[in-house]
Amino acid sequence: MKNKNYYGYLFILPFFIVFATFSIYPILLTFYYSFTNYSGMGTPEFIGLANYKRLVTDTYFLQAFINTWYIWGINFIFQIGIALGLAVLFSDIRLKMKGLGFFRAMFYLPNLITIASVALLFGILLGWHHGTLNHLLLDLGIISKPINWLNDPTTARWSVALIGAWMWFGHTFIVLMAGISGISNDYYESALIDGANRFQTFISITLPLLKPIMLYVLITSLIGGLQIFDLPMLITNGLGAPQGSLNTMVLYLYNQAFRFNNYGYAAAVAYGLFIITVVFSLITFKAMYRKSVN
Amino acid sequence: MKKLFLFLLVSVLSFALIACNSGDSSSNPGGKQKLTVWSFTDELQEPIDVFMERHDVEIELTIIPIADYPTRLRPVLESGSGAPDIFTGELAFIKDWVEQGYWENLSQAPYNVEELKGDFVDYVFDLGRGSDGNIKALSWQTTPGGIFYRRSIANEVLGTDDPQVIGEKFSTMDGLFAVGEELKAKGYRLFPDEGAVRWFAQGNNPQAWVNENNELVMSEGRINHFDYAKQLREMDLTAFAPEWSPAWFAAMDGPINYNAGWDAVDTNASNEVEVFAYALPTWGLHSVLKMNTDVTSGDWAVTNGPNPYFWGGTWLGIYSGSKNKDLAWEFVKMMTHDEEFLTNWALESGDVLSYLPVTEKIKGDFSEPFLGGQNNYTFFLNQAESINPGLVTRYDQQIDNFFGNMVSEYVDGVKTKEEAIQEFYNLVRNAYPQIKTPDQK
Repeated sequence: MKNKNYYGYLFILPFFIVFATFSIYPILLTFYYSFTNYSGMGTPEFIGLANYKRLVTDTYFLQAFINTWYIWGINFIFQIGIALGLAVLFSDIRLKMKGLGFFRAMFYLPNLITIASVALLFGILLGWHHGTLNHLLLDLGIISKPINWLNDPTTARWSVALIGAWMWFGHTFIVLMAGISGISNDYYESALIDGANRFQTFISITLPLLKPIMLYVLITSLIGGLQIFDLPMLITNGLGAPQGSLNTMVLYLYNQAFRFNNYGYAAAVAYGLFIITVVFSLITFKAMYRKSVN
Repeated sequence: MKKLFLFLLVSVLSFALIACNSGDSSSNPGGKQKLTVWSFTDELQEPIDVFMERHDVEIELTIIPIADYPTRLRPVLESGSGAPDIFTGELAFIKDWVEQGYWENLSQAPYNVEELKGDFVDYVFDLGRGSDGNIKALSWQTTPGGIFYRRSIANEVLGTDDPQVIGEKFSTMDGLFAVGEELKAKGYRLFPDEGAVRWFAQGNNPQAWVNENNELVMSEGRINHFDYAKQLREMDLTAFAPEWSPAWFAAMDGPINYNAGWDAVDTNASNEVEVFAYALPTWGLHSVLKMNTDVTSGDWAVTNGPNPYFWGGTWLGIYSGSKNKDLAWEFVKMMTHDEEFLTNWALESGDVLSYLPVTEKIKGDFSEPFLGGQNNYTFFLNQAESINPGLVTRYDQQIDNFFGNMVSEYVDGVKTKEEAIQEFYNLVRNAYPQIKTPDQK
């Protein structure tokens, strides 16, 4: 018998070549660089664990870590809150909301706009003396003097978080709608017959049966959230101002590598970020495992 | 119908494939020599067209946005594959790059540019020099800055629009503020934003950010800058239109909305305000002011600020691994010291050149209609003479960013002056651990 099994390997080889060249090799190279003082030019010099020692005592990285969680936290609460509310509204068998297709498209739209346009748009909306929002609030008499939204740590973080929520709630809405439509209508009909009100239906039927989907949304959002970069980068011109409050972990990494040319240290930051992601993924997996046991 | 669609699809695809293929193979039609140039602006396109006409060669210009430029260029230079024959450098990173081996050494034969030393504006020539003393890149332009102001407003408020007289008023920070007060009384604003004074923070004793011992230099002028910026805010002399924002551009051509309800100022003031002046370098005239004005064209003039400064500039060098160095050198030669070409170029574009034989020729009767017929050429050349290239370090762009940021936090009242300075030192150390800050001594 001739063994033709190797053909299979041959066919999957291209993937592995590409994967090794563009994923494995850079990952290993980054690991090597994290032990050097590579500045992007010339030859890297081996400096042992110095970069990692610096990383664990780096207050700016700690600040970036806190910022990232702060922004992602607000973002997620609003994103899932709005999406869940809308999903429940649209799937309510008593309300029979019309125009689901239209709204779904409308909600999803912000997700399709390039982040550069979003940053520009909100830069103009949230401007201090010439911003649309300030003019509106002043005209309505809600505030008496313009607020410098993007120049105060709290409002800047909230702005970025809410812009993120605005961009992503449509996506989450669609995922949750899919999850809800997977719940059999029988439950709702029997609940209706038993005289349950909307709140009770939501708490006792929708929410428990939606848990796996919610967990999925949580994990994907967390992975994306730990990598928040583009919006703070564009809004603050890469500086992470005001007072470093928009300096996220990836922005910090970017600045160390491509602005300050500290490639070695940036590589160490990348591995720090990697370890953080692994830790939080493990925590989430643990939570998921316990849930499935229950 | 479906078949027709498929047929169309296949033909489009195959056409695209063929087109791509032929594009590759015919990249050298008729054996023409080919050069590749990388830059971050399109300003080289016209010279390239001229050069192609003169030499019957093909030049391909690749433009990469300035923000990505160093990141895109560095790998190809490092690896040598796909690297351009000529690439430009901007002021922000020229100091880094002249230290590397990427640019051909122009001081040695066959280039021998040292012979041209006296023909160029000093600071421009010297910025292309590495610490080993060799010239790596040349520039055709000089980019000193001045203060561009509106003649009509000057006439109304100051009683004159003569650049000489106004330049005298502007020659100290206090004079600048005094004019600002006069303008404010008539409902105008001195500058669009507070960043505009950053060029004048140096005072009359300018120093490099980082000295030869790798120490950060915090001069008295820089510390004073905190106070000047705060003063500018407290006296309400700007229109709060941040640099490069839509309002900033709009204010060049007429009144902009101002602070409806801002209670720190006179409530009787109108909601519209006009900006008097912009601090901009040579290129600001052509690429910024002219591009964004319509009504106010011809109503401008340029004069000096409290001290000379410069901003930006494009240097040009040959990639040391290039296979077409002769041709590349021909292009650099044309761009930087070809009298005929540069004369046409300067008269056409108004670019202020660094090549003295040409500037000597044209500066005498130069007249810029946009500036009401003013001879801005002579003005800028005079300013260029007082620029010291030793002040530029490879760290300037980032350090200026940090500094500007801390100044605004102080002005906003978030930090005290001491806190802001301390935070500034921390930021510098974080970005460049090798630099010693004054608080470490």
